[in-house]
Amino acid sequence: MSKITKKEYGEEMEKGFNLRTAMEEASRCLLCHDSPCSKGCPAGTDPGKFIRSLRFRNIKGAAETVRENNPLAGCCAQVCPYGKMCEQACSRTGIDKPIEIGKIQRFLVEEEKKQNMEFLKAAEPKKEKIACVGAGPASLSCARQLALEGYSVTVYEAQDKAGGVLTYGIIPTRLPQEVVDFDIQTIEKLGVEFKFNESIDAAKLEALKSDYDAVFVGAGLWKSKMVDIPGKDLEGVVTAIDFLREAKTNTDQLLLGENVIVIGGGDVAMDCVTTAKQLGAKATIVYRRTIEEAPADMDEVSFVQSMGIPIIQEFAPAEIVGENGHVTAMRFEGRDGESGLTMKTDQVVLAIGQVVGDDVAGIADGDNVFTGGDMVNGGKTVVEAVAEGKEAAEKIADYFNK
Amino acid sequence: MSVKKDLSIDFLGVKCENPFFLSSSPVGSNYEMCAKALEAGWAGVYYKTIGIFIPNECSPRFDITSKEGTPWTGFKNMEMISDKPLEDNLEYMRRLKQDYPTKVIVASIMGSNEEEWEILAKKVTEAGVDMIECNFSCPQMTSSAMGSDVGQNPDLVRRYCEVVSGATHLPVIAKMTPNIGNMEIPAIAAMEGGAKGIAAINTVKAITNIDVENMTAMPVVNGKSSISGYSGAAVKPIALRFITQMKQHPELKDVPITGIGGIETWKDALDFILVGSSNLQVTTAVMQYGYRIVEDMISGLSHFMEDHGIDKLSDLVGVALPNIVPADDIDRTFILYPDFNKDKCVGCGRCYVSCFDGGHQAITWDEKERKPVLNEDKCVGCHLCLNVCPVMDCITPGKVEMKPGVKDHEVKIKTMYE
Repeated sequence: MSKITKKEYGEEMEKGFNLRTAMEEASRCLLCHDSPCSKGCPAGTDPGKFIRSLRFRNIKGAAETVRENNPLAGCCAQVCPYGKMCEQACSRTGIDKPIEIGKIQRFLVEEEKKQNMEFLKAAEPKKEKIACVGAGPASLSCARQLALEGYSVTVYEAQDKAGGVLTYGIIPTRLPQEVVDFDIQTIEKLGVEFKFNESIDAAKLEALKSDYDAVFVGAGLWKSKMVDIPGKDLEGVVTAIDFLREAKTNTDQLLLGENVIVIGGGDVAMDCVTTAKQLGAKATIVYRRTIEEAPADMDEVSFVQSMGIPIIQEFAPAEIVGENGHVTAMRFEGRDGESGLTMKTDQVVLAIGQVVGDDVAGIADGDNVFTGGDMVNGGKTVVEAVAEGKEAAEKIADYFNK
Repeated sequence: MSVKKDLSIDFLGVKCENPFFLSSSPVGSNYEMCAKALEAGWAGVYYKTIGIFIPNECSPRFDITSKEGTPWTGFKNMEMISDKPLEDNLEYMRRLKQDYPTKVIVASIMGSNEEEWEILAKKVTEAGVDMIECNFSCPQMTSSAMGSDVGQNPDLVRRYCEVVSGATHLPVIAKMTPNIGNMEIPAIAAMEGGAKGIAAINTVKAITNIDVENMTAMPVVNGKSSISGYSGAAVKPIALRFITQMKQHPELKDVPITGIGGIETWKDALDFILVGSSNLQVTTAVMQYGYRIVEDMISGLSHFMEDHGIDKLSDLVGVALPNIVPADDIDRTFILYPDFNKDKCVGCGRCYVSCFDGGHQAITWDEKERKPVLNEDKCVGCHLCLNVCPVMDCITPGKVEMKPGVKDHEVKIKTMYE
């Protein structure tokens, strides 16, 4: 019998370090002269520096470096694909395996919280006001940078809580909500104001443009792509965005099928299928290409596989079959042109990609408007959105100083 | 935006921006090295010892001790004083002082007779340095007229301090050897000779390892080796002890001390300050990790001061001294039992093994549960178990119990272990 991973919905992925184990890991660090790990971080979190500080017992200094450099330090520590970034660059790999940089970062953020450390202080107030549209990673990052520099910042968020994809997308096993909330608190403490349940469209943007000296739009990708096949409108066919949001905010009332099929091969599809499985469904993922071609991070795929979830490859959706208006089965066609597959299902989750929402589609840089994050880059990582938010803040400051 | 406390502190009337200095050693051998260190944040350098004597060095000249996964628990060094021409070294020091006027340049000197000490003192004074350190303590000189052989002789220490003090207006520091039973004796002699401060400690005479390929000590120099100076983390406890004893001696308690020996982190630095050092010197950690380590010394010490509401570093100097007392003044009226956290215990049994083989057989091993069980009747409260436990916060200090016939009284204990 294979031993599969059984994690309750929301149960944490793995235990974090304590001081002793964190020190052990830090003592494996080679303290490279040119810190390739630091160059590997898009957000400039500077692991070379914070690991060195930890190694030399300057724990508070280490936590300070992390927080000062990365506004979403806690979230990034949990969800960053380190294997493609800092840890991939780690010289220790040449000896055995890379330093667990993400886990060290997580330890430092946990210490920051536990010891009530406060590092951030806004500069002298400046007269300009900025509106940030969206409370996801890019917008939060931009807002924090501007607030640090003394600007007055208001964030407009369509949902009733901040965090964007961190709060409404990524599953709590990968990213506990209290980690998200703690990062956001550090931003709130700088005086950033949040206005919730405020969605922005073209007309409202015009108003913001005149009410504020600059507007940053980091509205993310909140419209699901649809498949154009028969049965797509049947009851029981849901989008990944709706499914994950319901699961996170309304876990007990989530309408969950017995046999859930998730369509897609990205991280969002992986999150949907683990959610379904964790909440008690028999869940399967079906992807039209091979896992090798899939955009999902290998760690996510491994997590799905460790839970014993089948990943069916090279079958594309052909038809969703229903009875009395509700989905009962789904038919797929093989990539080879000959194979066929029909599966019994009562819930189909479409996770085949997201695009910019209709209200904010077409918004681009111009006048006093600046954009960044997923809605510009097409959907990348949290850490890249953080980096883009910081860059946008610099552009905005330059714009004021012209 | 980092917390930057004012870490400045006076040493022998010279204002130092922080207490962190390079010690006179290979890490401060020329202009370029010292300049890089000063740029990195060191407040000053004790420039590598200069003399009239120019040594002929061997190759290789270093060795390390290690324990399990930790290299460099100690470091052995056979290098002597500077092998550069005296005039070059004087020129480097002159330029350093010129280019870094707010930093502190200390000349370390070593003569083999009175005349040499006098010449050196005059020349470095002319070069414009801030202080002079007399090296009475290098244990690997090829001549017994110099180094730790001198430092072990209070009469020579006193005489050379007189000569140097007579040849300069600068504050003179005497650098002590730990290869001696009581450092107070040569330290008092140095004060009598006119020295104003004490530097402690220089390296400890040692053999680190024996090489079985060549049947000699390490490092192997053409099949042979020598006893030479040992430094780094391993010698820190020895340094703290010598400094404490000097600071507690009635004739030396007010003498400013520059502490040396295994300083690697801000916490090591703090330890030296708390036993009375008002200036600190580092070499071994710099040789292993580079000048950059000063960044975390500055940052870590700043955070400590911030957290403890300390505004002046000098307020921390010697704070631990009153609580380091003779063995017969220790309260021996109680037992502090260890407390075992069964949930944290991973069942390795290391506490059981150590308690049986090295303690008082006070732990029994529950074979079924694979957990230790304390027998308080046998436990003497030595805390060997706590020290050997690999799990953080698993074995911690627990209840205090008075020995029979002792009146109950308050007992201060340590609660936080790392």
